Amino acid sequence: MTRATHPRGAATPLLSLVLVLAAALPLAGCGGPATTHHKPGTTHEEASGSSGTLLPARDESGHRLREVPAATAPTVRVEARPDTEGGWNIHLTVERFRFTPDSTGGAALPGRGHARLLTDGRETARLYGDWGHVPPGARTLTVRLHADDHTVWAVAGAPVQATVRLDGAPAAPPSPRPSDTATAPAPATTAPPSPRPTETGRTVTLTIAGKTVEPPPSRIELKKGERLTLRVTGDRADTVHVHGYDREVPLSPGVPAALTLTADRTGLFEVETHESGLLLTQLVVR
Amino acid sequence: MTGVPLAHGVGSRHDLPLSPFYAYAGAFTALLVSFLALGLLWSTSCFRGDLAGRPLPATVQRVADAPATRTTLRLLGAAVALLFLAHLLLGPDDPDRNPAPGALYVLLWVGLVPASLLLGPVWRLLNPLRPLHALRPPRNPRPVPAAVGIRPAAAGLLLFTWLELVAPDNTSTGTLLIALAVHAGVQLLGAARYGDRWFAHADPFEVYSSLLARLSPLGRRADGRLVLRSPFHGLDSTPQTPGLVATVCVLLGSTAYDGLSDNPRWITTLQTSSLDPTVTATLGLLAVVALAAAFYGLCAGALRLMDRSLTTPLTSFAHSLLPIALGYLVAHYFSLFVTEGTRTVIMAAGTDNALSPAPPLGPGGLATLQVAAIVTGHVLGVVAAHDRSVRLFPPARAIAGQLPLFLLMIAYTLGGIGLLIA
Repeated sequence: MTRATHPRGAATPLLSLVLVLAAALPLAGCGGPATTHHKPGTTHEEASGSSGTLLPARDESGHRLREVPAATAPTVRVEARPDTEGGWNIHLTVERFRFTPDSTGGAALPGRGHARLLTDGRETARLYGDWGHVPPGARTLTVRLHADDHTVWAVAGAPVQATVRLDGAPAAPPSPRPSDTATAPAPATTAPPSPRPTETGRTVTLTIAGKTVEPPPSRIELKKGERLTLRVTGDRADTVHVHGYDREVPLSPGVPAALTLTADRTGLFEVETHESGLLLTQLVVR
Repeated sequence: MTGVPLAHGVGSRHDLPLSPFYAYAGAFTALLVSFLALGLLWSTSCFRGDLAGRPLPATVQRVADAPATRTTLRLLGAAVALLFLAHLLLGPDDPDRNPAPGALYVLLWVGLVPASLLLGPVWRLLNPLRPLHALRPPRNPRPVPAAVGIRPAAAGLLLFTWLELVAPDNTSTGTLLIALAVHAGVQLLGAARYGDRWFAHADPFEVYSSLLARLSPLGRRADGRLVLRSPFHGLDSTPQTPGLVATVCVLLGSTAYDGLSDNPRWITTLQTSSLDPTVTATLGLLAVVALAAAFYGLCAGALRLMDRSLTTPLTSFAHSLLPIALGYLVAHYFSLFVTEGTRTVIMAAGTDNALSPAPPLGPGGLATLQVAAIVTGHVLGVVAAHDRSVRLFPPARAIAGQLPLFLLMIAYTLGGIGLLIA
């Protein structure tokens, strides 16, 4: 009984202290140096700033559109590449636009802000840079450019956005599907219509029969950053291993297996099978 | 892994093949320097071997020679060896998680190169077999027969490089334990018979370290003083023991085989030959060592033909091949040492799944370093051979006398650069 009363007795001065602090906080936030996560002059309030014209229209997520002349409007293109562990790696190409994560929530300034990802029409994530990842399962991806105050940049009443279809299931390394890993899907349909072919990288086909590798082991010369797809057909169950990148793909007899990688380390790397211990080829990444 | 072993035991990234520009630049420099040396270098021998050198302050010598220093180093060596053994016995059998393979193939084998170049024959001070032997020294050890020289060490080096470059499963703890047991057994049995001087004749790492230490600026004069000296004097003082030629040829040949084992054509030969890949690789390693030795033998024969009075053409010039072998070692193992050495230390410090750090130099920088190492080794070798030949040959024949050696060195150097292009 006595124990139960004890905290209640202490709670009263504590509560008043909290109240005083709560009353003091906004004062401190406005007058002195910034004490909250808002930088001076930035709030969550929407539609601040005077860049462009604020339209009454809202997008499906409820953000108002901010109309700017087409000549000065930002543009965005998007391309999606299947990731070898599932999902898609997406790359935005923006013009007249800068990602400003540290002033998000501030006033809308021309050519600044962030991007939002909408998968199958639903907003799922933001991007504060030009690379991102979308988990598997989505069929279409829309990238929309927002200003710092969360309004949507718009030209002629339509949001500045780009949409890409994520065709088929993104390939995981074990799936020996012939067409997925080698070529990325159709190029993005973009808001300013200047479609660009998606980078596909190189494809090298290797066949193992007994102890012979066809073509015989040689060196594949790659530029750093280039993409390579190895399509390997073995005559027994085995594992293909790319040393240095430590990437593996299981082989089953007679079924081609594909392994896609981005050559991002320079050096000479060996591609081997684990069980039979054969060297298939060497990657020379300069 | 049952098939072709990875070159140099550990490390999954190999150096890029040399681009032709660097290769030609290096080859041209080597040729130019050789012929300039023929005409321009001194005509009377000026290296004085272990008589030369500027003595270090007496305090430094006292500290270096103090029994406390020696004991500390012995204990340090023994402690590290125990740690190594503990990792081998208790650690996981996976070179990506166990630092023991990296400690042997990178920290010891490659690390002895910079350590010996800077500090002298360090492995003699750290060798953990010496304190083990000192626990029960023999009462009346016999002298090591003169004909033995450092031949046991040459054989040991060949076996070690076979383990490093050819043996299957050479990073598994089982293989390493067997190798360690064989090594310790041979060394301790020999030492039980001949006393601790056996190590200087037979321990491959001691001999390797002592030979590389000939190029160290830190050396010991004949009177025992610790001196700073030009590496040329140190090189000139290399004792012409039996087995020196064999040791140098093993070093040259095994490093060359390391380069060859990256070559896709050699790999195809290994994989498609009707013999077991390990057998083929063993034959390849032996063939490259034999080729290096055959070239040297031809050259020594030519020297003997030119001057009948030269009784020991083989050993008289063997020291001049040491810098060339050193150049090969630096060119092949520099980036391995920096990346895998760091990773081994990180692993030994307890980090699981340590990543190999990025190579310290870009492709251009690394290629420059590799070519520079080989050409520098070549130049040092040419100068050392020149000085020796003006000492041994009568003045009239001194220039002509070194021609076979120059041809040999050019062959080694171009071969070394060629293997880096591969």
